[in-house]
Amino acid sequence: MADLQSPLGAAYTPGNHGNAAGGAGVTLQERTNVSLVQVTAWSSTIPTVLTAIGSATGVIIQNKPGNGRVAGEKSVFGFAPGRFMVTSATPDIEQRLRAAISPELGTIVVLTHGRTVIRVSGSRVEWVLAKLFAIDFSAHAFPVGAGRATLHHDIHTLIQRINEETFDLYVFRTFARSFWKTLGHAAEEVGYRVE
Amino acid sequence: MTSWRLPQGGRIDRAKSIGFTFDDKAYSGHPGDTLASALLANGITLFGRSFKYHRPRGLLAAGSDEPNALVTIISGDVREPNVRATELEIYDGLVVRSQNRFPSLEYDFMAVNQLAGPLLSAGFYYKTFMGPAIGPLRSTRFWMFCERFIRRAAGLGKAGTAADPDRYERMNAFCDVLVVGSGPAGLIAAEAAAATGARIIIAEERPVAGGALLASSETIDGRPPAVWAREKAEALASLPNVRFLTRTSVWGYYDGNVLTAVEHVSDHKPNRTIGQPRQRHWVIRTGKTILATGAFERPIVFPGNDCPGVMLADAVRRFAMEYGVGTGKNVTFFTNNDSAYDAARTLALTGTNITAIIDVRSDVSGTCTNIAKAIGAELLVGYAVTGTHAGKSLSSVTVQHFNAQTGRLSGAPREIKTDCLGVSGGWSPAIHLASQAGGKPEWDEDLQAFLAPEPNQNWVVTGSAAGYMDTISVLSDAATKGSAKTRPVLPQVEAPMFDSSPAPIFEIEPAGKSQKAFVDFQHDVTASDIRLAYREGFHSVEHLKRYTTLGMATDQGKTSNVPGLAIMADVRGISIPAAGTTRFRAPFTPVSMGVIAGERYGDLRPHRLTPMHDWHIANGAKTYEAGLWHRPMIYRSHGETVEQAYTREARAVRESVGIVDVSTLGKIDIQGPDAAEFLDRIYTNMFSTLPVGKARYGLMLREDGIAFDDGTTWRLGETQFLMTTTTANAGPVMQHLEYYLDCVWPDLRVHLTSVTDVWAGAALSGPKSRAVLETCVTGTKVDNNALPFMGIVQGHIGDIPVMICRLSFSGELAYEIYSGAGHGTQVWEALIAAGKQFNIVPYGLEALGTLRIEKGHVTGAEIDGRTTAHDLHLDWMLSKKKPFIGSAMIDRAGLKNEHRLSLVGLISLDNQSINGGSHIVSDKAPREPADSFGHVTAACYSPALGKYVALALVKHGTSMIGKRVFATDLLRDKHGAVEIVSHHMFDKDGSRMHG
Amino acid sequence: MIIKCPYCGPRDVIEYTYQGDATRTRPDAASTDQNLWNAYIYDRTNPAKSHREFWLHSGGCRQHLIVTRDMSTHMISSVAFSRDNKNVGDQR
Repeated sequence: MADLQSPLGAAYTPGNHGNAAGGAGVTLQERTNVSLVQVTAWSSTIPTVLTAIGSATGVIIQNKPGNGRVAGEKSVFGFAPGRFMVTSATPDIEQRLRAAISPELGTIVVLTHGRTVIRVSGSRVEWVLAKLFAIDFSAHAFPVGAGRATLHHDIHTLIQRINEETFDLYVFRTFARSFWKTLGHAAEEVGYRVE
Repeated sequence: MTSWRLPQGGRIDRAKSIGFTFDDKAYSGHPGDTLASALLANGITLFGRSFKYHRPRGLLAAGSDEPNALVTIISGDVREPNVRATELEIYDGLVVRSQNRFPSLEYDFMAVNQLAGPLLSAGFYYKTFMGPAIGPLRSTRFWMFCERFIRRAAGLGKAGTAADPDRYERMNAFCDVLVVGSGPAGLIAAEAAAATGARIIIAEERPVAGGALLASSETIDGRPPAVWAREKAEALASLPNVRFLTRTSVWGYYDGNVLTAVEHVSDHKPNRTIGQPRQRHWVIRTGKTILATGAFERPIVFPGNDCPGVMLADAVRRFAMEYGVGTGKNVTFFTNNDSAYDAARTLALTGTNITAIIDVRSDVSGTCTNIAKAIGAELLVGYAVTGTHAGKSLSSVTVQHFNAQTGRLSGAPREIKTDCLGVSGGWSPAIHLASQAGGKPEWDEDLQAFLAPEPNQNWVVTGSAAGYMDTISVLSDAATKGSAKTRPVLPQVEAPMFDSSPAPIFEIEPAGKSQKAFVDFQHDVTASDIRLAYREGFHSVEHLKRYTTLGMATDQGKTSNVPGLAIMADVRGISIPAAGTTRFRAPFTPVSMGVIAGERYGDLRPHRLTPMHDWHIANGAKTYEAGLWHRPMIYRSHGETVEQAYTREARAVRESVGIVDVSTLGKIDIQGPDAAEFLDRIYTNMFSTLPVGKARYGLMLREDGIAFDDGTTWRLGETQFLMTTTTANAGPVMQHLEYYLDCVWPDLRVHLTSVTDVWAGAALSGPKSRAVLETCVTGTKVDNNALPFMGIVQGHIGDIPVMICRLSFSGELAYEIYSGAGHGTQVWEALIAAGKQFNIVPYGLEALGTLRIEKGHVTGAEIDGRTTAHDLHLDWMLSKKKPFIGSAMIDRAGLKNEHRLSLVGLISLDNQSINGGSHIVSDKAPREPADSFGHVTAACYSPALGKYVALALVKHGTSMIGKRVFATDLLRDKHGAVEIVSHHMFDKDGSRMHG
Repeated sequence: MIIKCPYCGPRDVIEYTYQGDATRTRPDAASTDQNLWNAYIYDRTNPAKSHREFWLHSGGCRQHLIVTRDMSTHMISSVAFSRDNKNVGDQR
């Protein structure tokens, strides 16, 4: 099948930007070829669904608000009661989840086309993201693997911490170009590199 | 008054020079100077003209409380008015102008206002310009007429008109403890809090830490206090759990321990690095707040107290100690408390001659008399200043015996030669933030000042802000309040012992004629204005404020509130706390609009773009904004007008085939065992009976029976539906559905997900649309059997999976083709290619609107929050078999009233366009006011009918069909005859779309 | 103002959408009692004391919350998921 077209268009300009003379403070990148599947459990089936996600992906997370894990090219995180984002580099993840989760356990919505994943990493990542989101990015408040649902202006965003200095931002596709420009603008102060 | 650079002292870097311009003249100063200190060092003592009377004014204060020295920074076409010279750090190339003077500071024409002094008293403008009771300029109209002339005479600096080129940012911060202020209290409290490992933010308004210690001549741990403070601040800043923000004013305290601050990131720099903001707006959410905000010295109100050279005692000291600037060769102090003695003592150490100390009290302590003796100053106990004398600035003051008990002056006036008078009327703790947080300040008799109230959020006040006025008790209070767990080792302080309690003297009021005595310097409010306000019945402090404008200037009365209140209490014969106080409001200090807006300026909203956006632009689309969306309005061919373009596009749809981007429609994935039941309750019509693979048009009402939204919902599986909503209502519908699931029917097992962004949608409309699909779709048939009206099929275009639903908004044979958004452009281009042989035309919103107006299909213009299903002729959709949201209310008399507006069509009888929003009237000629009995909701030229047509909501709707009326738009000067027709203006039986 | 979402934790009020009075109960859907429906749809109290309100965490987990808030001080005494609350909803 044809590749997915990026929503960023001409706004995606690889190279160094902003005050990058002393090295880029952050690196921005659009994650492509990643399948995004939302799984939502009924209120009584959350532990069962987590087990099912574990068996389908090999990634097991705890039944706690915002809990999540990153395992290689796969990741899972919760961002609302009973609601989880499951991502994988392999598109068969949808079939595996559908096989494991019946409508009696929960529902599945494929969001690959609907959300754009932007990876932000670097030593100044917390500083840059704090300009856009009113949530606490410090490591003790937002541990590695964890997920958050929040807002930048009108743009609803899911965020997962990949490691100490890396976050994945899931934005609605139709807002992605506007958000990308805003993110670049915010990162100019510390300099940024587009991969 | 004479001013000059002292041979030593201050935290300025004398090795380096900075050049700047003030009123077109070049001056130089040093790094560390403010504009105020640098100008003083250059002998400049006149800083501005006063607000109302244009009196010459010098400096009163040395910090954020300065009311007089407001200047305008000029940078090319950009000007920033009303910047306090006492806070503006100079940099190379800085250009500044003084304000409110013409033609120059020294000679000001408007100073004639002084001669009219008695006329310009409180309320003068309101009384004089109220205007006659009748006539064209009656009452407020006259005021509005005069106001623009008055504004020219009175006022602060002028705002510029050029766009602000600077960058501003917003920053979100979280901490366990926020310490506001880094004077002795802030430093020790922060040290205690930081030792617990908690996350600390320290916000300091000034460029360096230290607060009052910067101008102190005490010793702390054997070192000058400024040195001790610097070391302490450096140690704190180096801790990993501490963020130390300088040049950062905390200006707002909000619910939930949220505080706002402005950081002046590069205001003090001649150049900025790439991406560096000028100012940064911090929004700080903190667990606990420590308010170590210090105290402001108050002036005493006495005749002639605004003469340049009359300053706050502490300001005299600060200019000498912090900036190495002398403000007088022979300095005199006038006080009601001990703190002026410390100022005098400190100033004497810089080599300044102290002429006299004038104290209103009848008796002073041994410490005070010893200081006076030691520095060789004449001590006048039981005296008060009753006047000032000046050429261009202060040359002498008049003093008289003063009885602090009775407030009476007696004896012969005596003149004391002096060129600088340092005044101290006691200290007001800076409780602004605590007051903003919601508490009512409490009067402290001992300090003659308001103290912060009991905390209503998690905050503490410490140091002089809490009423501790000497360094030792400030430090020990801060050590206790910083943390309950740790207590830092307190340093050794060597300082004279003073009494912090002032005499309750706020004003010196000679009997008989005297000079003006100012209370609010920035708004030119005098003591006699307050008495006048009282005589005219404005007794409450809130009325007093508004009538006299006392304390309402940009300094929010930092120096004037308490003296003003004291005078009002005095005339009313009540105590100060009984007279009341005013609640402080944000901002604590003036904050630029730019920094509050942050990045949200210019293009305020994010752009929302469909997957095919770039194709539209590349193919000549002229777009407009629909909510956040940017959508094609028309695709303009060479030389076409908008009307020509949409007419061509709409005609192509009726004649052959057109394609329009409908990706913006709201799309909600609805899944779960109870999904069908849920939709039955939400929609007015039945959805549980809808077979899988079919779509149905649905209408939802609000709970009160008014129409809310419409759209089609597709049954994709037994437990899965795809709901579409109007573009504008996608968000509100989602919220509506979530509300009912969460709050009303929590037992229904249904999940909702917004999938608007998942799908790209293209609507193919026109008699040839099926032929286009037959050319390019594989994997499914699309003939009338396989894909009947409201049917859904899955297939492929190229190798891309698509979902096709046959439904029509245009009234033609039409299909909506949905694909994954990432494939939207490819599918769109494939459809265009397949349609080439049928001369397919892409069409925009204008043509889309035209097609639906011809058909009488409703949108948000008609579903406007006032209309019912009945009004819109959609009552056939109201199921009688089940209750639904709104069903209980639709039969109310008011909603079935025959006088209601209902939907009709209009056809222009004079072949003129009809304006949207026009009123429907019966008058042949335009008339104002006219009796309107309806309005136009949408209008266009209809290529199918060859006429200008419109949809309208008209009283008695259907029964008016065939009547000739007029559509009038007085604002746009349009009035024309129209005939009322059925809203189904084209293809009434729908044969085209079912064909 | 900050509302502490039971799922997302404390968040600024800008993330939330006010969704009305949470003290009322929707009449039975089949009811045709106009007085009952009128009261449900239009009658509101505005007490200068503790009050229950619906807030949708629209900029977060998108759950409706029941927030108990003092209308005169803005102090929030409790926040709970609306779904866990059994006192609302019609009784069908």
